[in-house]
Amino acid sequence: MRKNIRKIVVVGGGTAGWLTAGLLASRFDRSEQEVSVTLVESPDVPIIGVGEGTWPSMRTTLQTIGVSESDFFNQCDASFKQGSKFVGWESGGDDYYYHPFSLPEGYSEVNLADHWQIHKDKVSFANAVGVQSLMCERGLAPKQITTPEYAFNLNYGYHLDAGKFASFLSAHCIDKLGVEHVLANVGKVSNDEDGYITQLDCDTGEVIIGDFFIDCTGFHAKLIEGHFGIEKIQLSDVLFNDSALAVQVPHPEESSAIESCTLGTAQSSGWIWDIALPTRRGVGYVHSSDFISEDAASEELYQYLVKSGCAVQRHEFSPRKISFSPNKRKTFWVNNCVAIGLSAGFVEPLEASALVMVETAAKFVREHLPSNKGALSPIARRYNAMMNRHWREIVDFLKLHYVLTKRTEEYWQAHLQPSGIPDSLRENLELWKIATPWLLDTPHIDALFPAASYQYVLYGMHHDTRLEPEWLVPEQKKQADILFQQNIEKARGLSTALPTNRDLLKKVRQYGFQSI
Amino acid sequence: MSNFQLLNPEEHKNLRVIVEHGADLGDAVRVVQTFPFEFRSVQGHFPIFLQKTPDTGEFQCVALLGFEEGENLFLNEQGWASSYIPLMIQRQPFLIGFQANPESDEKKPVVTIDMDNPKVSSDQGERLFLEHGGQSEYLKAAIARLEYIHQGHLHGTEFAKHIVDLGLVEAFTLDVTLENGSANQLLGFYTINEDALKQLTGDQFAALNEKGYLQPLFMILASHSCIGDLARLKGEKLSKQS
Repeated sequence: MRKNIRKIVVVGGGTAGWLTAGLLASRFDRSEQEVSVTLVESPDVPIIGVGEGTWPSMRTTLQTIGVSESDFFNQCDASFKQGSKFVGWESGGDDYYYHPFSLPEGYSEVNLADHWQIHKDKVSFANAVGVQSLMCERGLAPKQITTPEYAFNLNYGYHLDAGKFASFLSAHCIDKLGVEHVLANVGKVSNDEDGYITQLDCDTGEVIIGDFFIDCTGFHAKLIEGHFGIEKIQLSDVLFNDSALAVQVPHPEESSAIESCTLGTAQSSGWIWDIALPTRRGVGYVHSSDFISEDAASEELYQYLVKSGCAVQRHEFSPRKISFSPNKRKTFWVNNCVAIGLSAGFVEPLEASALVMVETAAKFVREHLPSNKGALSPIARRYNAMMNRHWREIVDFLKLHYVLTKRTEEYWQAHLQPSGIPDSLRENLELWKIATPWLLDTPHIDALFPAASYQYVLYGMHHDTRLEPEWLVPEQKKQADILFQQNIEKARGLSTALPTNRDLLKKVRQYGFQSI
Repeated sequence: MSNFQLLNPEEHKNLRVIVEHGADLGDAVRVVQTFPFEFRSVQGHFPIFLQKTPDTGEFQCVALLGFEEGENLFLNEQGWASSYIPLMIQRQPFLIGFQANPESDEKKPVVTIDMDNPKVSSDQGERLFLEHGGQSEYLKAAIARLEYIHQGHLHGTEFAKHIVDLGLVEAFTLDVTLENGSANQLLGFYTINEDALKQLTGDQFAALNEKGYLQPLFMILASHSCIGDLARLKGEKLSKQS
């Protein structure tokens, strides 16, 4: 058997496939032509295309593969995303809180969550520890037109049109990074005596020989399940949303503000995402079919749209239905094959964890793929351990959003069932009754969600931490007071310096950002 | 605030423009836009940098006249203290405006005047229009200057874009310590990265030369010797105040 890894084959051409192909192809020196990346894509399978929110990590990813941010904005109908705003999760009324992308001020030195407790009746946690939530509330962008591309005043990711994003990445990968593109349906998958995949036979008669294979075939899981038979682990006892109804609607008016947070509004049996792009909104109701019928869910979605100013007619309202079962693979990397994207698992769109998992996975492969197949098994073991940990983090953190509710509907009460709360989360919740989340609660350096994220959700939902004032370090209290004061001044300065999100997007279209 | 009106011989028949310079005449500015066309004249007097236009983020070339907001060290009791005055100062109180043409997408350049500019007067300075109609020599020269500026702006924007794309431009912070020990820091300015310039290939140099960008590029570098002059003027101003 050929031992060297020289030909990498990505199967599947959705966002996951092209992001992975791009991250890998940009790692190798093109002039050497030693290592090649091929992406084979079915001409018949449409992409799922509802992953329209990213984390700030996407800025680094795009920069790494050599994309101009201005081109990306204009060709993917992209907007700025500064975090999430959760509405109605606590009581079902007008209650809301922000989970912004910026860490609390002074995060590397002092835990502001401790020192905010005595001010909690006067100011929300997010507004006290940073300025981003306030800027979002005022409809302001995270930077100015004079800020260089990928740089920021306030940390940001993107909202984007998933279909356009896949095409944009595909053009970039083919034209700029030399990814070989094959349009064909993969049929027979062959392996050698050690169980390593050697070739794919396509319906076009083409045979694709490769050394390393990446399964980005979405829910089809063509290689990881179809060939290797790796089973799924159900996660529906913890996170039981299994359906979504999605629509695209125009903005109420041409001058309507473009929200730079993903809005997540709690409903009777799930929540509605609302993602604003420059030209339209993408809105969808994620729910559990055990608790609500499709018709009733559709009606709730319709009512939401009407309330948000959208001129949609009831009789022509037909949202697209997407079904899923919350699960992850038991193993993600087998021999010379790794599953990335929906083929690896999916729970639900809350906190937009899907794309960041693709980035994390592809980045790992980019950095650790050995040049020789002989070294694959220890790398696979590390990868599987890391991914299993990330899935636990996702499940815990997503569940946290639900378990602090005071809503009384059956669906929300079901989230409070002890049997559906992972032990790790239960233990942390006990701890957080007397201590605020802090660095050791998320001890891994590459943790997906920092302790700050837990703080934003816990205190956004008015979780009560009985911190004893005597327990605070006096010097840190002084430092915290200075930081709180600085935030007030910073908010004042940025309020006048930052343009509205809509105005900045218009300028990006017209002038673009400078590279420096 | 400004109040721009389309210049017309009826309405502005008796208008005059003061041609002297002074802080009270609106010339107290720290930076002024400049164009590669005039670098030859500018570079002997003022340091030239690049700066981003706040409204668009696009780069433009500027001449530095002072260190603090609203400080123009070239103004004194006698007026302007250097033999060359940048075009964008000379143009006051006129500006090119653009009028939409209903028949095509193109916008037509027109002459406008800022009626709130302190240089606009009814009894002092140069007349704009002759008694029996027609433009005065002063106005003809002012309009020619505006056309020159209009071309200079387009050329300057292209010039800046070209050298930014070549990776020749870098941000820098100017720290100036004066003789009295006071430190002045200037942010938001960009200049030519000389190391990057040395790395250019022969073809890239030839392309720069063909577009007429090579000379202005080196004039920017040459102009930096004026930073010392500017610091000296500032020192003199401070010692007069104390």
